Amino acid sequence: MIVEDEFIIAMDLKVMVELLGWQVLGPVARVADALRLLEEERPTVALLDVNLGHQLVTPVAEALRSRGVPFAVASAYDKPELVGGVILAGVPNVGKPTSERSLLRVLETLSMS
Amino acid sequence: MDLEDLYRMLRTGHVQAQGIVDTVPDPMLVLDSALTVQSANRAFFRTFAVERYDTIGQHLYDLGNGQWDIPELRHLLGEVIPKSSAVIDYKVTHDFPKIGQKVMLLTARTVFNPDNVSHLMLLSIVDITEKSRKEAEFEAVFGELRHRLKNVLGLVRALANQTKAEGISGEEYRKVFLGRLHAVADANDLAFSDHGEDGLEALVARATKPFQTAPETIVIEPGPAVTLVSKEIMSLSLLLHELATNAVKYGALSAPAGTVRIGWEVEQGDHPLLKLSWRESGGPPVGKPASTGYGTQLIKFAIAYNLGGQVEQNYRAEGLEAEIVVPLERAARPD
Repeated sequence: MIVEDEFIIAMDLKVMVELLGWQVLGPVARVADALRLLEEERPTVALLDVNLGHQLVTPVAEALRSRGVPFAVASAYDKPELVGGVILAGVPNVGKPTSERSLLRVLETLSMS
Repeated sequence: MDLEDLYRMLRTGHVQAQGIVDTVPDPMLVLDSALTVQSANRAFFRTFAVERYDTIGQHLYDLGNGQWDIPELRHLLGEVIPKSSAVIDYKVTHDFPKIGQKVMLLTARTVFNPDNVSHLMLLSIVDITEKSRKEAEFEAVFGELRHRLKNVLGLVRALANQTKAEGISGEEYRKVFLGRLHAVADANDLAFSDHGEDGLEALVARATKPFQTAPETIVIEPGPAVTLVSKEIMSLSLLLHELATNAVKYGALSAPAGTVRIGWEVEQGDHPLLKLSWRESGGPPVGKPASTGYGTQLIKFAIAYNLGGQVEQNYRAEGLEAEIVVPLERAARPD
């Protein structure tokens, strides 16, 4: 599952993840849309942008944690937990701009955990 | 006059100590070996809002109801100083009951009296509270700037990756990519403009300007004032850029007599809707393209994804007509 509010980046992440052989749930731009998706399906891993315009992704991270779905952030913040709360502490960050290599490494690590 | 000079003068005993102590611009205390205040300067009284008679002759840790009984200071004076005669710029942060939190740099130096075994201690206190507050503010602003810069780079990366490279030359790719990059840069300018240029009219004028080859080729009809938020600016700017690019390639702007008319209205209600129309005429006859190009996908995604809007494109014989409907509920309220 991909949660990212900037449409060009969302499109790009989707294409990158698909090229790496994954099937993408979303992308979605808002917390409510992400939570609705989670009611219907259970992704293997999730990739989250921290700052969704006027919202923080924190409730989505909490929903994923309670469902046991591993997740990574794609954030320009060095310490996303300072912005999105303690739920994001220690979560892998594929960075922004996101490179294919770091995306692949993080997705593989998460899906094996 | 710095501490070093003062130290030298006190040692040689040429001048009145109090006079010297008062010339030092930063707060300063002269303590005896038992840490009783022998002397203090005006800067000390002013900075820490205390009186002379409450200070002189008092033990340092008893001053102002024990407000100088600071663990770090005890450590400095009790443990560090006896072993190393001087300590420079030792940073201490402390909450004073009356004047609030102060960040201070302490410099201490022991002065031995050659005549007997007693010694004095000079303690200078530089108040860097304001300076460290400014530094913290700067750090925050700088961090935000760094974050924005990374976001913009992320966007540029995505734009480069999402611009089709297959089956076209490097020059063509560059042209398309740079066109989009300019649209994003313009949107960025408008979104962070402090001249109130965040309105729809300014955006339409700016986005279409590069394509306005002659007067009256692109006509912007007057419409109601609409204030936009940054992601609406970004999406609409790219949308207009893609529509104009296609018009130059295949549509009305590819013919000398072709024109584009752009107009908008706002449908009021509980959920106000912005209805933007793009009408081409006078160009070559158009038909629905066999396949939807990446530009069209970008347009649809730009409007649908985070604006929750719709784009409808009608390929009429006289020219393309595009109707864009975007819910304005967020933008209508100041945020």
